[in-house]
Amino acid sequence: MNVEAAIQALVDARVEFVIIGGWSAILNGSSYVTNDLDICFARDSGNLRRLAQALAPFHPRLRDLPKGLPFVWDHATLRNGTVFTLETDLGKIDLLAEVAGLGTFEEVAGGLVVTEAFGRQVRILDLKSLIKSKRAAGRQKDLLLLPELESLLEAEEP
Amino acid sequence: MTPEELARAEERLRNPAPGSRIEAAQKFGIDLTLLIGQLRLTPAERARQMLEVCQLAERVRGAARRRKP
Repeated sequence: MNVEAAIQALVDARVEFVIIGGWSAILNGSSYVTNDLDICFARDSGNLRRLAQALAPFHPRLRDLPKGLPFVWDHATLRNGTVFTLETDLGKIDLLAEVAGLGTFEEVAGGLVVTEAFGRQVRILDLKSLIKSKRAAGRQKDLLLLPELESLLEAEEP
Repeated sequence: MTPEELARAEERLRNPAPGSRIEAAQKFGIDLTLLIGQLRLTPAERARQMLEVCQLAERVRGAARRRKP
């Protein structure tokens, strides 16, 4: 997975997004290991166009789409869905219009931090928001991450 | 984090207070020394380190099954 190239392509294309999931946990100090990139994106028309154009060179296709079925990658496709689990030339990228427990990109904006990573300024969930989203997602893999994230939060409390 | 905040966080992780969430995590099986190591890094350094781990994992994935008898 070439996360760095994916992030740089998105930032350089001025896509409005926030890194969520495993990479958000890693950048917050978790020792979690992940092999995909999860982002939450803004759904306004301009952003959907920029997002589609930014990832187009990496040939996105849906991971759960049977081989041979046609798939068109453009802003109209993005407008018609809220969750896209993609395989790309850079690796697995999951695009979500909403984060469990937090809401849309605009609603997530209150619980994020901007940090330097991958050679760019990127937005990630802060620890409180990350914990809230993992608890809301409720899958075993999310819940297993909570003790570590809560430890980091407690360690960093004033 | 300021040096003082980092020192305080490290101390909390090294010696968890009884009844704390950190102590609960330790009992759950979390290796708190890994968290101390991560906190000492900047987010950019954490990303770089994890990218190296992922690249290494990609190189060795399936190696055991590829081994010749």
